[in-house]
Amino acid sequence: MDGQTKQFIRALESSVRAGSLNDSSEKGGCLFFRVLPKYLIPVCRACMSNGAVFDSAFVSSADQGRGEFNVYYLFQVAAIHRMVAVTSRGSAFDALSETVNAALWDERKIQDLTGLRLAGIPDSRPLLFHPESGFPATHPIGGMPFKRPKNNAYPMIGTGVEGEFEVAVGPVHAGIIEPGHFRFHVLGEKINKMEVRMFYLHRGIEKAAEGKQADGILPLIEQISGDEAIANSVAYCSAVEQALKIQVPKRAEAIRAICMELERIYSHLADLGGMATDVGFTLPASRFAVLREDAMRLNAEVSKSRFLHNQCIVGGVRADLDSVKTAKIAGTLGQMLYALEELERMVFTSSTFLDRAFQAGTVSRGIARDLSLVGPPARACGIHSDLRRVLPYSAYAQTAINESIEKEGGDVLSRFRVKLAEINESARLILLLVSNMPPGTLCDKPSAPKKRTEAAVGVGWAESPRGSCTILVEISQNGAIKRLACRSASFRNWRALEKAVEGNIVPDFPLINKSFNLSYAGTDM
Amino acid sequence: MLLENLRFIFDRRYTDTLSSKSDDPAVREVVQLLKQRGRSPFARSIHVRMVDAGSPNDVELEEGLMMSPRVDAERFGVHFVASPRHADVLLVTGPVAKNMHIALIKTYEAMAEPRAVVAAGDGACLGWEGKANYALAEGTGKVQDVLHVDVAVPGNPPTPYQLLAGMLKAGAALAKKSEEHRK
Repeated sequence: MDGQTKQFIRALESSVRAGSLNDSSEKGGCLFFRVLPKYLIPVCRACMSNGAVFDSAFVSSADQGRGEFNVYYLFQVAAIHRMVAVTSRGSAFDALSETVNAALWDERKIQDLTGLRLAGIPDSRPLLFHPESGFPATHPIGGMPFKRPKNNAYPMIGTGVEGEFEVAVGPVHAGIIEPGHFRFHVLGEKINKMEVRMFYLHRGIEKAAEGKQADGILPLIEQISGDEAIANSVAYCSAVEQALKIQVPKRAEAIRAICMELERIYSHLADLGGMATDVGFTLPASRFAVLREDAMRLNAEVSKSRFLHNQCIVGGVRADLDSVKTAKIAGTLGQMLYALEELERMVFTSSTFLDRAFQAGTVSRGIARDLSLVGPPARACGIHSDLRRVLPYSAYAQTAINESIEKEGGDVLSRFRVKLAEINESARLILLLVSNMPPGTLCDKPSAPKKRTEAAVGVGWAESPRGSCTILVEISQNGAIKRLACRSASFRNWRALEKAVEGNIVPDFPLINKSFNLSYAGTDM
Repeated sequence: MLLENLRFIFDRRYTDTLSSKSDDPAVREVVQLLKQRGRSPFARSIHVRMVDAGSPNDVELEEGLMMSPRVDAERFGVHFVASPRHADVLLVTGPVAKNMHIALIKTYEAMAEPRAVVAAGDGACLGWEGKANYALAEGTGKVQDVLHVDVAVPGNPPTPYQLLAGMLKAGAALAKKSEEHRK
């Protein structure tokens, strides 16, 4: 443990009641504090007052059905480059969201999954389950019988201004996109308030993973969100590798990083093209679409899958990048950057585009901090949120990264600039990694799991194109998954979209939505 | 700048040339289907409404790329429409989540006859194997358990050309249905 970490722990100890932090341990870049339920919220709040940023809250069953649960509150601490996990075991907890707004969806999800009632939670409406579609007989985690709410209503309340009316959109939208419901409370054209209702795509991925072998569920992890397949796989694999203490070879880490950057490039190209489409500027939009198709074809040549499926495995990667493939990558990226330069000129000299994008969908830095915003939307309002730098993992620990930050703004234009800069940075990183490929093996076969007395826990993270995603796994003695819990970037950012559209006009909503480009499937799981 | 822009619009080099000798079996299938297709307007003008009932958005991305300048499905009459009322084909991706069940049925019921359903992707065609999932319709989320499926396009996810072949097959199925309707 280095000096800064010790200093952080000392600062933490001085701001909580003596004796509440007795049980701490460190594992692969993650600090665990095991506390009593009554100290849970005070310790979490002490972390946050010592510079920790709320990351996610997870729950697992502690004794299969007798009503005891483990809760995990995860925080990113940039000062010590570590994730901090505050965990507790018990049958009744208080809600962190009473004071920390960012934790609200996490805790509503915990309530739905387990049937726990967190004391003091400001919003108790069901999140995962839609009353009109029916509830399951038992709660997915822990198996407690489901108590149906007395009425089936899901109230969405406006601001109460006279003359305000509602516009309901979704779940089935007009374009080629995923399902979600948006309720606009509008006065004339101006949006007074917008509320999203998600989880139409709730497929029970976390539950479906239970009982399967840890190295056998990567196809399921790829189903969380199709265009974050590699980022989620890397987060999952690092969680398992941390839990089972598996070392990943250097060459595999470099290949993982190259794949993650390829994913960022094709994902951001889609966003930039989408923003151009939504201001009606079709010429760059179709050029972006061409580039994106080329990026997908490059993926297919590199990994046999257009979405880089099946590339990352527990302990390493499946396929090598030989010199033929790396030359192909370098060649295609060069052409792509040349075209991108021209497109940049085209977009930034268009008054139509600038007029629509400038100051549309502004997120203030205060709101971004309040909601623990992640990814490009956070960087567009000047927050250092890039996990490749905040909590360096895999090959990024040895590579210097220029984080793309827009100090002013927080609007659509800033998000456009951040994503454009990130494509260039990703291309630079890929070329750097490709030219310095470390030699060695691709995957160290995990040695036979040692006998353990209790389940091993691991936390993994990655910076997906949309922002940080965090995965927690509990693995039982025989190597099977006891609990898989995942928080994707989109899950964090949807509530910021609600704030971003306030005061804008309804026709600007598609543009603002596209500038965030959140994944519905990744949120709903 | 203007000249460059005009060049993009009129230059065909951005669109793939389809050949019956292509390396990609899906392209060969598309060429074959284009040769076979009849004179019925349903086979030549295919208006599609898509519903994502549970896919992890990769099939949606491929649908978008099917309309991109490289593949350009619009040149073969495939067109995505905003409302099910305008659509002949319902393109469903899956597995069907329980929370999307009602919306999927309602979208299907809003379409006029004749109509065809295409299930795209392994999730939609095969559902999720294993024990019944509390969050999926009928436990596994197969589209065929919810709606009558005319064309299945398997793949994880299917490529733009595989989807295009599926659309052309749906057009052929519609042409047949309208023929039967007239009799």
